[in-house]
Amino acid sequence: MNIYSRLKKRKMRRLLFLVSFFLLATIANAQQRTISGTVTNKTDNLPLAGATVTSPKLSVATNADGKFSLSANTGETLTITYIGMRTQSVKVGNESEITIQMEPGVVEGDQVVVVGYQTQRKADLTGAVTVVDMDDINKLPNNNPIQALQGRIPGMIVYTDGSPSGSNVNVQIRGVGSINGNAPLYVIDGVATFSGMHELNPNDIESIQVLKDAAAATIYGARAASGVIIITTKKAKRGVTSVTANARGSYSWYGTKMQVLDAEGYGRAVWQASANDGSPLSKYLIYKFDYGRDANNNYTLNRILLPEFVDTTTRTMRTANTNWFNEISQPAYSQNYDVSLSRGTDKGGSVFSLDYLHNQGIVRTTDFKRMTARINSDYKLINDKLWIGENFSVSRTQEVQDPGVLNPALQALPVIPVHTIDGIGWGGPFGGMNDRQNPARIIADNKQNHYTFIRLFGNAFADLEIFKNLHARTSVGLDYGNFDKRDMQLSYVSGYLNNPDNKVTMSHFTTSQVIWTNTLNYKSDWLKHSLDAIAGHEIVKYNGMDFGASRMGFASEHIDYMYLNAGTGLKDNYGGASETRLMSYFGKVNYVFDRRYLASATLRYDGSSRFGKNNQFALFPAFSVGWRLNNEDFIKDNFDFISDLKFRYGWGVTGNQENIDATANRTLYATNYSGGDPTWRTPDGTAYDLNGMGSGTLPSGFQLIQRSNDDVRWESMTQSNFGIDFGFLNQKIYGSADYFVKTTSDMLVRPAYIGVIGEGGYRWVNGASMKNKGFELLIGYKGLIASTVNFDVTANLGTYRNKVISLPESVVNTYGGNGTTDNILGRPWGSGYGYVADGLFRNADEVANSAEQGAGKGLGRIRYKDLNGDGTIDQKDRTWIFNPNPAYTYGLNINLGYKGFDFMVFLQGVGPVDLNVYDVKSMTDFWSINETGSNKGTRLLEAWSSANTSSSIPALTLTDRNNETRFSTYFIENGAYMKLRNIQLGYTLPSKISSKISAKSLNVYVSGQNLFTIKSKNFTGVDPETPAWGYPIPSMATAGVRLTF
Amino acid sequence: MGLSDSFYGNSRRKAYILINLKNNKSVNMKKIFLIIAVSAVLLSCKKSWLDVSPKGTLSEAQVAENPDGLVNAAYAYLGNDHYTTPWSLWPYGNVRSGDAYKGGRDEADIQQFHFGEIFINQRSDLGTLDGMWFQFYVAISRVNSALANLNAKTDTEFPAKKQRIAEMRFLRAHWYFNLKIMWKYVPYIDENVNSNDYGNISNRELTNDQLWEKIATDLQFAVDNLPASQTQIGRPSKIAAQAYLAKTKLYQAYEQDEQHNVTKINADKLNQVVTLCDAVIASSYSLEPDFANNFINGSYENGRESIFAVQFSKDDGTMFGRLNYGDVLSAPQGIGCCDFQKPSQNLANAYKTGVDGLPMFSTFNNADLDANVNTVDPRLDHTVAMPGHIWKYDPNTVYQVSWNRSPDVYGTFASQKENVKRSEYTQLGPFYANTKNKILLRLADVLLWKAEALIELGRHNDALSLINQVRTRAKNSTSLLKLSNGNFESNYKIETYQPGVNCTWTQDFARQALRWERRLEFAMEGNRFFDLVRWGVADTYLNNYFSVEKTKRTYLKDAKFTKNRDEYLPIPYQQIQFSHNLYKQNPGYTQ
Repeated sequence: MNIYSRLKKRKMRRLLFLVSFFLLATIANAQQRTISGTVTNKTDNLPLAGATVTSPKLSVATNADGKFSLSANTGETLTITYIGMRTQSVKVGNESEITIQMEPGVVEGDQVVVVGYQTQRKADLTGAVTVVDMDDINKLPNNNPIQALQGRIPGMIVYTDGSPSGSNVNVQIRGVGSINGNAPLYVIDGVATFSGMHELNPNDIESIQVLKDAAAATIYGARAASGVIIITTKKAKRGVTSVTANARGSYSWYGTKMQVLDAEGYGRAVWQASANDGSPLSKYLIYKFDYGRDANNNYTLNRILLPEFVDTTTRTMRTANTNWFNEISQPAYSQNYDVSLSRGTDKGGSVFSLDYLHNQGIVRTTDFKRMTARINSDYKLINDKLWIGENFSVSRTQEVQDPGVLNPALQALPVIPVHTIDGIGWGGPFGGMNDRQNPARIIADNKQNHYTFIRLFGNAFADLEIFKNLHARTSVGLDYGNFDKRDMQLSYVSGYLNNPDNKVTMSHFTTSQVIWTNTLNYKSDWLKHSLDAIAGHEIVKYNGMDFGASRMGFASEHIDYMYLNAGTGLKDNYGGASETRLMSYFGKVNYVFDRRYLASATLRYDGSSRFGKNNQFALFPAFSVGWRLNNEDFIKDNFDFISDLKFRYGWGVTGNQENIDATANRTLYATNYSGGDPTWRTPDGTAYDLNGMGSGTLPSGFQLIQRSNDDVRWESMTQSNFGIDFGFLNQKIYGSADYFVKTTSDMLVRPAYIGVIGEGGYRWVNGASMKNKGFELLIGYKGLIASTVNFDVTANLGTYRNKVISLPESVVNTYGGNGTTDNILGRPWGSGYGYVADGLFRNADEVANSAEQGAGKGLGRIRYKDLNGDGTIDQKDRTWIFNPNPAYTYGLNINLGYKGFDFMVFLQGVGPVDLNVYDVKSMTDFWSINETGSNKGTRLLEAWSSANTSSSIPALTLTDRNNETRFSTYFIENGAYMKLRNIQLGYTLPSKISSKISAKSLNVYVSGQNLFTIKSKNFTGVDPETPAWGYPIPSMATAGVRLTF
Repeated sequence: MGLSDSFYGNSRRKAYILINLKNNKSVNMKKIFLIIAVSAVLLSCKKSWLDVSPKGTLSEAQVAENPDGLVNAAYAYLGNDHYTTPWSLWPYGNVRSGDAYKGGRDEADIQQFHFGEIFINQRSDLGTLDGMWFQFYVAISRVNSALANLNAKTDTEFPAKKQRIAEMRFLRAHWYFNLKIMWKYVPYIDENVNSNDYGNISNRELTNDQLWEKIATDLQFAVDNLPASQTQIGRPSKIAAQAYLAKTKLYQAYEQDEQHNVTKINADKLNQVVTLCDAVIASSYSLEPDFANNFINGSYENGRESIFAVQFSKDDGTMFGRLNYGDVLSAPQGIGCCDFQKPSQNLANAYKTGVDGLPMFSTFNNADLDANVNTVDPRLDHTVAMPGHIWKYDPNTVYQVSWNRSPDVYGTFASQKENVKRSEYTQLGPFYANTKNKILLRLADVLLWKAEALIELGRHNDALSLINQVRTRAKNSTSLLKLSNGNFESNYKIETYQPGVNCTWTQDFARQALRWERRLEFAMEGNRFFDLVRWGVADTYLNNYFSVEKTKRTYLKDAKFTKNRDEYLPIPYQQIQFSHNLYKQNPGYTQ
């Protein structure tokens, strides 16, 4: 139950009080009599506290035991409503005691949803708002509730990976919102944030609403361009004391690992590459090759010889055949417990919850732990006129992250053993082998390097009824994060790689966001009119600060010893800060006439510290209208199968200011004394030993890091939405459909620039504009089979098309293309420009009769299409070959209930979509275009050769003379997939049994996640959902129990 | 103004409203109106609340107050390079010249340098070229920023103004010089160009000669305004400017046509070279008594021969020190990693001497060097590490075959000049870097520039003593090559040119002697390829080199220098694209 519905009930209670008083005064009325009754939940037979019972004259709420009593006349109809339950009507007969059993499920229209500073009946909504069915996601073992939304909201794509924290979640609502990030704004109990939903306890969530269109989201103005997700946490129900407890355990495993070459295969591949080049190797690294020629005079490999030891001289590493993916993987166990205590009284209530989660990852040593505590409480004062309360949570998360070991696991050579012969030392490269680290060492040395993050999140509010229907509300929200990490870098010897100097880095950052919101809300119904208006002001101040220090030289590498103080060697430190502010004014009016005609208008005026004085403020307007046809007589009279029908139209503007530097409009210089870590990048320091002393503090100076742009202005998004909500056959069939057109204008970008500008050439400019058009459908069908089996099937589908519609001259080179005539204008955002790979050259004729390809054409090489027909393959032969937008995305959820059993299947999928698989395919299909000398995928063994001319994998070669590293269709694959996300069987024990342990309800369930995937044949990688080096998504089996007292 | 300021600023007016209303209603109403009042205060919040200054950065005005800040940062770029974009230009000056192999694991290890080495597949879209190009212009942008700021100062505001301008123009000339020898035609940007116009300047805006003039003009300004010596050794002196100007004029003297053919040698320019070199030679700089001193870490740095050097440092408060990151890859695998830039067999052979103590001009490459048989120039052991010989004058460290990463591909030599004793490296990741200064201008160079100019002027007799000075010093540079048993590393025999005794000193012979001397003296120092192009002999020299060397190194089997193209690198494709095809690609490259 959320605070807004509480507000509504409070008003009803006051009404009840007045009515009772009036009744007392007119006690003599004889026709009326007192009806009492009990309202229960049909599924678990538990009493429902706080249900509203309305007679034609008044309404009352049920108490903790679900009991109510009120006066009514015989023949009158009582309406009983309860959030999350189907509204029921009962005719008053002669009985004085009635029992009402309410069924879960919502008549769409009666649901009250939070839509940003206000609540609204879902029936009255005119924006595109999707309400999440929490029942469907509550039992999923996702510790990030947003992850659990994958495939459930039409038009919302959730990109994620399998990391144990569940933190790596990217949400895209209605296509690419802005190049500066698609992250929606999360508003939790009124406090807005962009970060860290995995730090929230999912069991604390009462409801989730996704505001997709501008009409709904504009009230959040400059931060709403990518949509808004509103989360309301659980509040105490009046008169109810309950305890719920959940326990869950999961076992996860690495579904499909990448197939990489073994020791022999690696030798075979490199030899074949050299043979293809015409000069077969007789030796390579520690390999020796015995080869000859066959009858056709082709080179053939007879035998591969490997020495007993990798290090032939020192003899410490026995030549191995290591599968590094096995070495870095583990079966993983996870557990989650939570308990919550809720207690409500007439004057308020409180909810207290605790949660503990421990997730192991399938990459060895990675794991994630979370503890959260929440207390939500509220009180009423001054004759219930003043309502104060707070919602507050503390979470502590701790994680050992993947130190980036998947790519090294492919690259590490299989001949290298995990350990030296003593079983303790690390194996590693020797002689000419690549300087790639032993993946097993990387993860072992990293196992203690966890971070600890403490997050305080919540708000305190006061709501005062100034006059009847006029409320002033003030709320102070806080989102505070405190991050600490100690990174121990241990000394090691791993082949010729070694690090004699151990080192500790301790780092710390804090972030704080304070939001102060003040609103005036007026809500009134008279006659057939219903009005709800709000005006408000809000300021947001964000501060971040970080610092860290490191030290080298530790006498012991014991975990309890390696702190900065204990070191004796080199010290270093760093630190910085950032600050941004936002100041806003906003207002919204919702108007309903006769429950048929709906209208809404919004204005938000946002000022941001990120923008220059000239463009510091921006205005974000929206309006929307709706028509509830099902309340029209001509529908009621003629089409009684229509139980719900509403047309909606909305238009609005939202803005984006995220991921844009706090100082986009300024010329900035910085001191950069150290110039950064020079190991893998060019240092850009400003200090220099002018005195030639060789050491000591150096004279330093300033570097330009950004040039000003006085014209920089807000990027904005204009969106129109046409929607229809429908329900037929008394809501047996229900759903909604939306069509939207969304234009994102003047997207801010810091374009790459011509080299002669030199340092600090970056500047923020307003770049391209683009348009997304899309369609979303949600449809459900529910009912009974043979009067015993409940079913509820919902399917959703979302699709959009994206196109760049304007491209200012200043950024014409920024988004790909040939830099002059052919650019991204008119094409989908993120399109890739490259060559068309036209298969391989299979015979001498094909080689002779095709266009020149620089130095490279030859048998088994990729043939590129000569698009301009000039006989030469060059940059002019590139075209648009890649569109990152999926054709459509979908989800299908099936719920079945039979007596105490519940069964759920959830399928989620993505339609045809281009994947750029260069990162992996350049290493599974080629010897020499990426990370040469490293281990490769087994596909190399199937590459084209004179003996295997039917292969579509290019011939192996030692050097990339044909420039096959060029971006071409060879690296574009179809990423379509459908996954069985969840299959679940639950059983609720009969109350006879559960009551023996004094429980009101006891439910047990088992489930499986990601048990199978259907993917395109064209896809050569492992998982189209994480085609590159993201954390692999595990398959999982889960069992759990839910208990209510 | 902050939030609290505006709160207090407006509170009086609000308080009035509060009191007025207070009398009308109950006590509770006080709270109501307090809330309203606070809200009203918020609504009147000033826009200035949104003025948030960036943290840890400076504005233009703040920077302008400290002109030396931008100057220091411009100097810092002398040390801001990386192993794929090295300021030492080893992949371009050494690997492409027949003096060095790329090295590393195999051809594919930094393939782009391999393509450079064999002059095949040298494409304009190679990232290393674009990175190098950009790095030069970053260096130039720091100079131009410093100059723009200095120009705006008066002499009284900043008394060192003129000198600093001269220093900056020296640096700018240095960067453009290197750009010029790599790409020939480059866009010229100075501090007077408005940043919005940068993209409108073509690489052909200036002709070949005009570009040289720009470089020479900056250096002439430096000559005219720099002191004869600097207390801070890292700054260029007037002498350094004269030396650099001499070098510039020498390159300028060899006039090229559009196809890079040397068409004429400009005597006027050569005479200027002689004059400038004379000024440097007359200064306090002189040859080190031992050749080795130029390549040893520590107290030998900034010695008497070093006219201008990049200063490296450590224990200086930066992460690993401001080390020579451009050359990290050439530490042998026996040191740790990565065994790039390996002297070629041809180079080692070139150090062989005949019975006359002179180079074996025509026969040196007939058989490979055998240290047990051949007599050699002592500079061989200073330049090339050979198995069984000591590493960097450290009698306790013997360089061995096992130090080599891929001897089957790249042989068993290693480059010594940029390397240091084993104990003097700083490890960063897999790499091993050192602090040894990189000398950009040393007196031996000046002597040989002068000699070269004199020879081309027909005054080869005057050049003889200059070349012999260099050879005499080489002859005397054996003390660090002496082993504990009293023997030397190799069998040294080197003599000066003595006309009538061991040679006939004609102009042609002098030219040959000079070019050999430059090779022996400066091998692996990043110049050789550019010398070959200056002389107009790169194609014949290199194709001749390949014809023999590929019989020893199979990876060179496809190598071929294409005349009228490979003298210069292709303009990076990305830059042509950014210029909207304003930049013109160099001859011979298709795109």
